Amino acid sequence: MMVRLWVLVLAVLPGAVQAQVCEARAVGELPAQAVPAQVEPVSLAEVAPARPRFEVLPAAVSVVPGLLLHGMGPLVAGDTATAGRHFLLEGSGLGLLLAGGVPIALSGASRRVIGPLYAVTLAGVGVLSISTLANLYGALAPAFPPGEVARHLPPLELELGYQHVVDPAFDYRHFVSVGALARLERVRLEAGAKLSPGEGNVRVRVGGAYRLLGAPEGARAGADGTALDLEAAALAHRYPTESFTLAGGELFLRGRYDMARFSPRMAGSFAEMGVGFAMQGYVYAGPVDDILFEQLLFTFGYGVYLGRGGPFRGEAMLYYDHRKDDFPGGIRGGSGVPGYVGLRGRMLLTGPWGVAAELQAGSAVVGRVSLVYALGGEP
Amino acid sequence: MRSIRRGAAVLALLAAGCSQRPAEERALKDLRVGQVDANGVAFTVEDGLAVVRKVEPGTLTLWGSAPAFHVRAVSSAGATEEWTVVVRNAMPDAELSASVGGEPLLVEALPEGPLPTVKTWKVRVPAGAEARLTVAPPLWDQPMPFRFAALADVQEALPRVGDIYRRINADPTLRFIYFSGDLTQRGTVEQLEEFQSRLLESRIPLFATLGNHELITPDPRYHEYFGRGNLHFTFHGVHFTMIDSGNGSLDPRAEEMLDGWLAAGRDAVHILGTHIPIVDPIGVRNGAFASRNEAAALLAKLANAKLDLTLYGHVHSYYSFSNAGIPSFISGGGGAIPEQFDGVGRHFLAVEVDPAQGVRTVSLVRVD
Repeated sequence: MMVRLWVLVLAVLPGAVQAQVCEARAVGELPAQAVPAQVEPVSLAEVAPARPRFEVLPAAVSVVPGLLLHGMGPLVAGDTATAGRHFLLEGSGLGLLLAGGVPIALSGASRRVIGPLYAVTLAGVGVLSISTLANLYGALAPAFPPGEVARHLPPLELELGYQHVVDPAFDYRHFVSVGALARLERVRLEAGAKLSPGEGNVRVRVGGAYRLLGAPEGARAGADGTALDLEAAALAHRYPTESFTLAGGELFLRGRYDMARFSPRMAGSFAEMGVGFAMQGYVYAGPVDDILFEQLLFTFGYGVYLGRGGPFRGEAMLYYDHRKDDFPGGIRGGSGVPGYVGLRGRMLLTGPWGVAAELQAGSAVVGRVSLVYALGGEP
Repeated sequence: MRSIRRGAAVLALLAAGCSQRPAEERALKDLRVGQVDANGVAFTVEDGLAVVRKVEPGTLTLWGSAPAFHVRAVSSAGATEEWTVVVRNAMPDAELSASVGGEPLLVEALPEGPLPTVKTWKVRVPAGAEARLTVAPPLWDQPMPFRFAALADVQEALPRVGDIYRRINADPTLRFIYFSGDLTQRGTVEQLEEFQSRLLESRIPLFATLGNHELITPDPRYHEYFGRGNLHFTFHGVHFTMIDSGNGSLDPRAEEMLDGWLAAGRDAVHILGTHIPIVDPIGVRNGAFASRNEAAALLAKLANAKLDLTLYGHVHSYYSFSNAGIPSFISGGGGAIPEQFDGVGRHFLAVEVDPAQGVRTVSLVRVD
């Protein structure tokens, strides 16, 4: 019954409202844009049609009632194509949430099915969150010229920074953060370490990614940011004061979708989602016969590109990360299920210099700022 | 409407979880459990091992949170001297002894009622004196083997919990129920009252910590009914510790208490119970602490203190595994929505412990 209702809502509502706003469309007429069926990147020129101008009423409607019914803002502006996609996106998110969440509840979070069901549920939460943020971005973005995906990024970036952690469960606070990122065609290699000089606490992560779909970051050749990466990483985290060490490996599939494909209103923004799996072991001072512990990895986020083709280029993203083993841990109060939320930005400013910053909130609050030095890859 | 209320409650819980120390207030509440001034006498239950349920002129009613506990009674000049002490949730063979400066006071046991876990005594606390009252079964502080039941997660199955108590009652060797949280579905006063009234079907007392479901109500009243979330007691030479993991974490104040209890029990058999497992053997589910690194740090501490056993609830099934080398059991068999496809159903654990040898057996006892 609920499904039928949703189908009805999704099918009828856009048309019904469209009939009421046909006069308003005369002023705010927007070119309808078909959603590209392919996942392969398309050129920036293809996805850069005329952007709508900013209007107060659609922006306000995007908040109330748009936060509940995404797409109301574009609908009021007469952009039924975007509105329809919003309704579909929100409906899909709710559908996935129910498709995963209801069986979890009915099965008592059974060990036999919980992994895939959590992934589906998180995908639902992710789609809903992306739809929400896209709805807001689409309302406000026409007021500003959009950023553009960096046409190419340097083959090597080095960074040095400071990380501050406030965690009631641990005494550590101050960390030195170092990292390196190399781009070789479709391959990306990353290594990073966070070290607390006072505590001796150190976390090292080494990994790489292969771009399955989409243009390499080092040479986009005019393509947009849509991509699919397969990532692998190993990490070790030593807690000398607390006398244990975490070690493990993980595989992750991360997708990015350039939201200009969704609607011209979304130009300059992107959505990310990824799913993966980690196997980890904890080593304690004495001999133990513990099993290896798995971890479901899942992340989603919504971001914006910074810069418009010059030396200043980068991006910022608001995201959720389901992992519980990083400095932020998971949010307390969800019986161990939720991960943490974060906001990160990384940009090259001028010449070889750039900055990166990140704020994460889970069990702990983590802030990090880094100076980035890039080798090669001038715009 | 009900789903809206439930959604609001979940949001409130998550909002609380965004606080870095959502359990701090409860840890502070722990410190105030078992204290009352009445008719010129200041009563303090040592280590908060009993809740003051009611005070009337000359009558003190307590709810026991441990098999044995002490009460300090500091009486001022002119204070009421004749006191009736009622202890609910007491060991069926509990006795009251009292002394002032090492000199025993006269205690009169009043006739037993129909409930084996409700005990009543009369004692005279001299005005201006400091008396120490002890409520405990005979030989409680002498090392000897015994058995107890471990149970958790009754929640919405409260109307059916009597089945479990009857199964427990059928085993006369079980001394008490060690309950690892989620007594109720939402922790409301009505549900706490119902849990308490249905517990009257048990012939032995139940000593509990709270679970995340006790925190769903906007104004959790668990402490007023069942006492501390973080507590420690000894019985026949075995140390028992319960910690409040209702938010998937341990508050630093509670951890300070735990440090002392671990030190006290380092050379003895020591059993820890808590609601949310420190780690979940099904890692992709993570029905466990919110931070795996906090969990590992806590486990390293427990292993270093030579803890003998961890008992968890929260997951509505049965698991036996090892965490940091410490034998561990999840037993959430009190009747809440069961984990499907596991073939377990409602159950409890019967634990046999010998202070000289350690935990001897942990047996799964099926109820259905």
